[in-house]
Amino acid sequence: MSEAIVLENVTKSFGSKVAVASMGLVIPRGGLYGFIGPNGAGKTTTIRLVMSILFPDDGRVSVLGGSALEVKDRIGYLPEERGLYRKMKVGAFLAYLARLKEVDEADVMKRVRYWLERVGLAEVERKRCEELSKGMQQKVQFVAAVLHEPELLILDEPFSGLDPVNMRLLRELVLEQHARGATILFSTHVMPQAEQICEHIVMIHDGVVVLDDSLDAVRSRFDPRTIELDPLAEMREADEVALLALPGVAAVEREERGYVIRLDEGAEISHLMGRIAARVAPRRLELTRPTLEDVFFELVGAER
Amino acid sequence: MRKLFHVAWREFVATVATKGFIIGVLMTPALMAFFILVMPALMNEAAPPIAGEILVRDPTGVVFPALVDYLAPEAMAERRRDLLDAASEVVPDAVSKTAMKGLMGEVPQLDIRPLEGGLEDAKASLLTNPNLLAVAIVEPNAIDDVEGSYELFIREKLDDRVEDELHEALREAIIDARIRARGLDPGEIDAITWVPYRRSTTVTEEGERQTLGVLNMMMPLAFMGLVLSSVMVSGQYLLTTTIEEKQSRVVEMLLSAVSPMELMTGKIIGQFCVGLVILVLYSGIGLVALVSFAMSGVIDPSLVLYLFISYVIAYFVIASLMAAVGAAVNELREAQTLMMPLMVILMVPWLLWLPISRNPDSTLSLVTSFLPPVNTFAMLLRITSSSPPPTWQILLSLAIGVASVFAALWFAGKVFRVGLLMHGKPPNLRTLLRWSRMR
Repeated sequence: MSEAIVLENVTKSFGSKVAVASMGLVIPRGGLYGFIGPNGAGKTTTIRLVMSILFPDDGRVSVLGGSALEVKDRIGYLPEERGLYRKMKVGAFLAYLARLKEVDEADVMKRVRYWLERVGLAEVERKRCEELSKGMQQKVQFVAAVLHEPELLILDEPFSGLDPVNMRLLRELVLEQHARGATILFSTHVMPQAEQICEHIVMIHDGVVVLDDSLDAVRSRFDPRTIELDPLAEMREADEVALLALPGVAAVEREERGYVIRLDEGAEISHLMGRIAARVAPRRLELTRPTLEDVFFELVGAER
Repeated sequence: MRKLFHVAWREFVATVATKGFIIGVLMTPALMAFFILVMPALMNEAAPPIAGEILVRDPTGVVFPALVDYLAPEAMAERRRDLLDAASEVVPDAVSKTAMKGLMGEVPQLDIRPLEGGLEDAKASLLTNPNLLAVAIVEPNAIDDVEGSYELFIREKLDDRVEDELHEALREAIIDARIRARGLDPGEIDAITWVPYRRSTTVTEEGERQTLGVLNMMMPLAFMGLVLSSVMVSGQYLLTTTIEEKQSRVVEMLLSAVSPMELMTGKIIGQFCVGLVILVLYSGIGLVALVSFAMSGVIDPSLVLYLFISYVIAYFVIASLMAAVGAAVNELREAQTLMMPLMVILMVPWLLWLPISRNPDSTLSLVTSFLPPVNTFAMLLRITSSSPPPTWQILLSLAIGVASVFAALWFAGKVFRVGLLMHGKPPNLRTLLRWSRMR
């Protein structure tokens, strides 16, 4: 079995609201998937269906070859709505979750201490959870999701509320888990975060998958075919005319910070970049890469 | 199973290893012991000794001497001893003596004197003379006429126990004088109207034992109270911890490791053990008390077994519903509305105590024995009553109880799974029923 997660025609409704509509999705083992979409798109419901916390009204969900209920010990899950037992000590809380994940009793405290050390919280083992800052609590929650070395790691908005330093630390730890061989499903509504980490993107809107492709393929498919030019000196009208005359250039538009040069279909970009630079000395000359936000708006923009 | 054990163990430890639990659970027996043993002693210590004069005008000339005899400290002390003996017929000696002594206080030292001046002067003296306690006026026709009586004037704030003694003394002295006036011997009349009290003896298969009337009546209540209080305390804890887990949002972290059903079952088992601790502790105290008063024979060992079975059934039904309510609401305050029907159900056994224990074979007793979720309590009352039900009724009631446990667990499991992740507007009963039908 090479798939970590398989969803076949999965539908889930709450009253009259359809949260997930006939969703089909396959995530291979070892994949690093970004699950993105705006708030209320159905990401968390889908993840809860994957985790067998909710059950579909229709369709089939398979996780690591079976139901998540049977393989929970092989899954690490950091939910969006996460908390801790306020009065419980950090070490005891993590040990409790490790035991629930069937970690060998002899290894429980060793792993707890190792991971607290890894996230820079070695000194809080005996502190009550309520004594920790929000960022510290979040790191403890992350540790709870990974200390049993899961085959599948599902992270729902893992970076929300973290400062840049801790965000970077967590990002490195996620990539480390992936390098270890774990399948990662990373859900977020902050699309640039997914761009930084993921190899593959699943975009969801109103409970429907609107995009399911590798990040490279998405970039190539949604290439806006524009070049951004920030000239070193003020550009003259003659330069604009000259640029427009170059083969493959469809338009030259002045923007607040420089120019956007729109290209024709089939324009030779590498050749054009050289010719533009030869005509106008650039402070910055860059081929525009499509952002996931752009892609999202392009895909669902008409509806919005 | 190991996961269930871990969840149950955490739930148990997180509940019992708190100051609140230890104080709360030990407080009840401590208060009971205080009121039964210490309080009367304290009252006895605090009761002020009463001494003073009683002025009596007796135009008949025969009531006064009888009054003096009746109110002599030795005579009063003897009457109190008789009263204590009577009290110990119904409650253990140690308890009755301590309690009665506390209630009666010290024997008053009363000086009975004839009233020589006018009545109005004597009444005025009640206001000015701190030593004068009361003035009694025996009516001239008190002996010859059955309508004849007496009047008693007392000072303000006279201890009501002394006032009662004075009334009793005047009544007894007038009756005594009337008997003598008719040429009869009061001692002989006393003797022929007195039959010494003999306790009845209960004959059982194990042998004979003293009958303890009040204790027999209290036994069903005690058994039901034990089960009900254990269920209530642990059920309340279950409700609170479930709400806390939902409120602190730790619940979804837990659901990443266990299924909602495993979580709920583990929590219910954990709190079952909490209730068991309370049950064992309280019934243990009760048993120790019975053994120390040599009354252990009143407990039939099969009753202890049924007590345990009743607790298991009642607990699982009530706790399942509490868990469902806890999972459905966002905070404790919101739970009140959903708890109301449950609390009304839990009040029913208290209302059933007297009707069922007095008439264990009535239609009410029969119907409630098979009506979940009160059937366990009703059957417990009937089993411990003077007329235990036939075995088939006990078995049928148990079967209904077990079925209601499964029904409650099924309903709670459904509501628990959906409710745990629901936030916002608190649900009503209709919503809970809708959740129970969801996939």
